[in-house]
Amino acid sequence: MKITVLYGTESGNSELVAEDLGAKLRETHDDVEVFDLQDFDPADLTPNHFYVVVCSTHGEGDLPNTAIDFAEKFDVLQPDLTGLRYAIFGLGDSFYDTYSQGSEHLDRRFTAQGAERVGEYGRHDASSWDLPSDIALEWLPGAMEAAGLALAG
Amino acid sequence: MPSELVPRLAVIGSGPAGCYFAQSVLRGAPEAEITIFDRLASPFGLVRYGVAADHQHTKAITRQFERFFAQPNVRFAGNVDIGRDVTLDELREAYDAVILATGLSADRSLGVPGETLLGVYGSGGITRVLNSHPGERPVFPSLGSDIVIIGGGNVAIDLLRFLVKDRSGYEASDISDEALEAYIANPAERVTVLHRSGPAAAKSDPQMLKELAALPRGRYESPDLASVAPTAEGDRQEAARLAAFAELTSPDREPTSAPVVSLRFNTIPVAFTGTNQVEGVRIETPRGIETVTATSVITAIGFEQASSEISELTAKPAESGRIATGLYRTGWAKRGPRGAIPENRACAKGVAEEVLADLAAGVIVSGSPGFDSLSDSLRARSISYEQWTTLDKHERESAAEGRVRRKLTDHDEMVNIARDAQTSERN
Repeated sequence: MKITVLYGTESGNSELVAEDLGAKLRETHDDVEVFDLQDFDPADLTPNHFYVVVCSTHGEGDLPNTAIDFAEKFDVLQPDLTGLRYAIFGLGDSFYDTYSQGSEHLDRRFTAQGAERVGEYGRHDASSWDLPSDIALEWLPGAMEAAGLALAG
Repeated sequence: MPSELVPRLAVIGSGPAGCYFAQSVLRGAPEAEITIFDRLASPFGLVRYGVAADHQHTKAITRQFERFFAQPNVRFAGNVDIGRDVTLDELREAYDAVILATGLSADRSLGVPGETLLGVYGSGGITRVLNSHPGERPVFPSLGSDIVIIGGGNVAIDLLRFLVKDRSGYEASDISDEALEAYIANPAERVTVLHRSGPAAAKSDPQMLKELAALPRGRYESPDLASVAPTAEGDRQEAARLAAFAELTSPDREPTSAPVVSLRFNTIPVAFTGTNQVEGVRIETPRGIETVTATSVITAIGFEQASSEISELTAKPAESGRIATGLYRTGWAKRGPRGAIPENRACAKGVAEEVLADLAAGVIVSGSPGFDSLSDSLRARSISYEQWTTLDKHERESAAEGRVRRKLTDHDEMVNIARDAQTSERN
């Protein structure tokens, strides 16, 4: 199955996470694409792909800069996502009460349009000083297993 | 040899602007060799010396940059002052392109009478003392009982938070304990924060204000807030900011013994009063002229270029990052002192695109010799990233209890520790 990694970023952490997840997925899967959400049209979402969504949090628990246009287009389009499955990894900072809420804006939209989230909701906390990619790569195998997609060990 | 023809770029400044630029340009030209110069032995610029010591979560962005410096074609060259150790022209000879990511290090002046009185300090200087910046005088100034902060941006709020907090507020920070103890021994009784704007348009992030409100310290009041009706309409940021100001000044908030903080809005400072030592700030308010008593004043109204060989090149903001053929600028050095760390990423991407386009169009021609062609003495004094990691380890291991790091304030000592360890590795 084709896998598309989508990311929304403000400070670049989600971009690095998405690239690292993409590289990991390519070890097992032939067709893996990584897109910044600002370069991705919601009309292109298709149940023929499995999606890995990586998204940070900005401001008052808001979407990061590169995800804003995507969300606006998504709301206008309201695409039917029946049969589409995705896993999601959120970045945030538990120092703030809006911790990890950015990605939830996307999660809510996908679910509302009929998509199915699989696996654990992945989260990285900037206050932990863990490297975001370390946490994401620990999270990925479980999510892929839940999706029924193999991952090289 | 093809390897001779890779683009060789010099970035001056290893703060967020320089790191984001290098990261961005490497995505488009992965073969490029990049040297990031810094006048200090330590990288990361304002992340290390500008972000408040109790905001380690914000400093965690260095985890992203650490990874980037580990790449073989990225070189950190610390302890190199452009202008003193090597001229900008020499660097432009040695590299295909030079990118200024020098930021803005001087406190912007207010330009009103009395600014040179004793007891008037710039926010950058105070912030650097709290962050143990080498080259800043190590002694925290005696600010006295009545401190006035001019400005209402995040830097002003960082300073206010410092003035309000007690020792318990620095767990897992890298605060300068010398500075903290000096202040705790003689803390403020009253702090006045002078905003030029109204509360909704204040420059601070609502999260910064909420953080203040959540601290069990400080008693906040505002003679200027009563006329503001909090509304959920309009901009979410503005609504959140108004809600945070309302929470801070709420009569339900537990009173504490920490300073009384007066939040003033729509005030324009017109003069500092006093003969030798500052005694007050004269302000214009919608109700007329007032004078706020001050034993000291901290101005937090932004930053400007310190005078240097480079300053004339970056004094005024511009749309394009290109200054001349093979010479560019990014970050605050390009767009002025606005925006937090992440905004430098978008800015750097734009400048990286300009550089990549110039490379593709042959405006910049690869073939310059790069770092190896610089003088022996310069290469010898330069601190590598690996040497920095030795200093980094030393700082973390020598941290006092409850601290994540103890920064050294003596730059020679920083350099020696970074170097010594390398010698012992060789032995």
